[in-house]
Amino acid sequence: MTSIKNILALLTLLTAALFVGCKDEAPTDLPKASLGSVTINKYVSVGNSLAAGYQSSGLYKSAQLYSYPNLIAGQLKLAGATNIGTFEQPYWPDPGNPDPKTGKAARYVIISLADPNNPVIGPKGETVTAAAPENAATLLRPFDNLGLPGAPLAGFMDTVGTYQGGFGAAIIRGASGFPKSQFRSVVALQPQLVSFWLGNNDVLGYATTGGASPSIPAPTPVPTFTYLYTQAIDTLKKSVSGVKIVVATIPNVTTIPFFTTIGPKIGAKLAPLGVSLYYQKKGESGVATGTTKFTNPASDPLICLTGSPYAALIGTATGKFYKDNGYPLAPGIDTTKPFGVHPQNPWPNALTLDSAEIAIAAQAVNNFNNAIKTVATSQGIALVDINAVFNDIKANGKVISGVKYTADYITGGLFSLDGVHPSNRGAGVVANEFIKAINAKYGTNVTAVDVSSLPALNIPLGKYMTGTNVLPNIAPKSWDTFLKLWQN
Amino acid sequence: MKTLSLRFSTLALCAVFFSTASFGGGFQLNEHGSRAMAQGGAWAARAYDASAIYFNPAGLGFQKQGSVYLGTTLIMPSVTFYGPTNLGQSTKNEMASQTFTPINVYVTYPITEQLHVGIGVNNPYGLGTEWPDNWTGRYITQKVDLKSFYYTPTIAYKVNDQLSVGVGMNYVTGDVTIKRMVSPGDAQVALDLSGTGTGFNAGALYKLSEELSIGASYRTSVKIDAEGTAKFTPTSALFPEGDAAASLELPATAFVGVAYKAMPNLEFEADYQYVGWSSYKELKIDFKKNNSSSTSPKNYENTFILRFGGEYTMDALQIRLGYLFDNNPVLDKYTEPLLPDADRNGFNVGLGYKINENLSVDVSYLFLKFAERSVTGTETQFDGVYQSNANLIGFNIGYNF
Repeated sequence: MTSIKNILALLTLLTAALFVGCKDEAPTDLPKASLGSVTINKYVSVGNSLAAGYQSSGLYKSAQLYSYPNLIAGQLKLAGATNIGTFEQPYWPDPGNPDPKTGKAARYVIISLADPNNPVIGPKGETVTAAAPENAATLLRPFDNLGLPGAPLAGFMDTVGTYQGGFGAAIIRGASGFPKSQFRSVVALQPQLVSFWLGNNDVLGYATTGGASPSIPAPTPVPTFTYLYTQAIDTLKKSVSGVKIVVATIPNVTTIPFFTTIGPKIGAKLAPLGVSLYYQKKGESGVATGTTKFTNPASDPLICLTGSPYAALIGTATGKFYKDNGYPLAPGIDTTKPFGVHPQNPWPNALTLDSAEIAIAAQAVNNFNNAIKTVATSQGIALVDINAVFNDIKANGKVISGVKYTADYITGGLFSLDGVHPSNRGAGVVANEFIKAINAKYGTNVTAVDVSSLPALNIPLGKYMTGTNVLPNIAPKSWDTFLKLWQN
Repeated sequence: MKTLSLRFSTLALCAVFFSTASFGGGFQLNEHGSRAMAQGGAWAARAYDASAIYFNPAGLGFQKQGSVYLGTTLIMPSVTFYGPTNLGQSTKNEMASQTFTPINVYVTYPITEQLHVGIGVNNPYGLGTEWPDNWTGRYITQKVDLKSFYYTPTIAYKVNDQLSVGVGMNYVTGDVTIKRMVSPGDAQVALDLSGTGTGFNAGALYKLSEELSIGASYRTSVKIDAEGTAKFTPTSALFPEGDAAASLELPATAFVGVAYKAMPNLEFEADYQYVGWSSYKELKIDFKKNNSSSTSPKNYENTFILRFGGEYTMDALQIRLGYLFDNNPVLDKYTEPLLPDADRNGFNVGLGYKINENLSVDVSYLFLKFAERSVTGTETQFDGVYQSNANLIGFNIGYNF
């Protein structure tokens, strides 16, 4: 009897002691950041507006901080590349770069919410605080992030400024005695890792102007693109000893909200009336032959986000588009006819990518991507198939830490207010794809960016939007600097 | 009768003032009486006290007196999440520490020697987790609180000295609040829903001999149709603010147990408990505005708990020990910080003390050790490693009359 009593007492004590001493150790199978056998003392980004951290039609510090190259640099440092130090970017203090015409900040914000069905988006007349990068005077070497908004592939070698986009002088600083091109800057910096994502602007300029701009009548010819790409990577490898390079494909224009937002909304607006949109097809400037009810995604035209202020005018007798842009009326155009629903006052060509133009853009993207993949394979460098990633997001969305992001304008969460450039979290998604490709090719284990920790798109929710068929209204003139990105 | 009505009002007060929520396999709570809890919850083949109303209503048939048995369990869970590993993160995130206090209150009365009635109020399902407001999983959950009160009027009938049977009816109230962030625009949604449902339970207890008894009980699932509101901060026409509704099926459960008296003052019991978790397929919240809805798949699986326990009596004192193994119902794919489950081993100890002929107290302690759980390929794209445990302390007072 006593022995049972003792055993029970002992067991009780033992159990209690066990619980008190029970303390969990950190799990052993957690991801560990490391560079493996790779040394990275310097990382340089070659690219365009996407690399620059350009958002909502402007270049401003609070967005540049979340550029995908800066996010990659942060993760590289976590993996041990501490010698990178500060990843130098040309910061335009908020509210960012000026619109040359107004002198006010070019970036878009949500301006007016007086009418929740018609949110007005665009530059808000913010006073610019600095016309040049805040760190340009103190940094006595090229920037690590060489992203040049507006630069096509040809901008990589360009030492004159013709292909450096509107920010070339401020970022490359050739006139101040710094190396005169992206390429020469890279050579001067002698990095161990280069991300090279150019080529988007070789098709975007054509597409965002509806395929109707006389100065950009077609995407860059494929032989030119292929030649420049091959030369760029080959020269880079030869000029920077042992450099590791990661390149990326070009997303199809049909995946970005700049092209996918307005059309379906116009379709929804016209559907109850049973009427079609009359739009100018490729090459047309007068009476239109295109009609659509936006019920056949395979052949419907894409309507540019630049058309947003005119979409609300459909059905009214207006020539606002021509007046806004100072275009003379082409023969056959009659602005007393209801806009957009009459062949004589049709939806303008400059705001439309019709099926022929979509095919031209798609063919260019396809050919460019084939060239990029070929070069990546033959040079043995890392490749990010960002086109495949964006196609997947367009089709299925992307779940990250419980949030389903989509390619939708504003509500999708991945694109900034200009509908072309990624938001902070969109840049996080891009950075993670680059990191994945770097790890796969070079045996590193750089960890990904925690996308949810990046600031979300700033939407003044209290007053924003009702319903699903809201037409955002971005004033016509607001697009000038944005479209200038591609006017070389 | 006067004393009885007094007791009922005490009971109602308890129900109002004790908040409840917590932590069982899935969101089941299994601590409904300290004497049973100290023995790993292996109690269906004995059910000597008024907690028989929960474990096996047939147990009342063999009880000689009326009784009041009331208590609470302090539940102190702790969860650490490392991740999200699918994004290469190994950040340590700790759940806010909270103490939950589910109650158990039972009153029984023998109308005749054969026929017994009783009523119980307890919280068989509940959960609560709270994470820091700004943590990386804030779009999945910040805070969730689920409470259910089961009101169980019960009748038991002793057929003969070997066999007793019992049935109960369950009137159930349920409350759930959920807080999390929503995208786009970083708003917080707070859902507050409540509803009621009904169910039944039944059991039988059979004494094979002086030493050996077997017991079995079954409780139906209960469907709660809950209604309430969804509030968004800041508010926006983008969101389905306003009336919201959800239906939640609390799973069916069953016990089968066998008890053995090794010596007049030493007995053991082993139970198998079945939990029909497959009723929890999804959490679908319907919003009146735009007729929209939000669905998150759960796809729980039916599961079981093994329970072992014993009790040694020394005059007025009883010493109890127990062990349980709780097989978790959540697949890796659906494991999430809202309710981070894992297989659990539970180690129980407890004491009972008879103050006098009528009055007794029971205390119990349970340490629940969750297996470390590393999940990948989750539905929410929020992979990582969960480490969890819980300390539970139970108190009960029993009064026989």
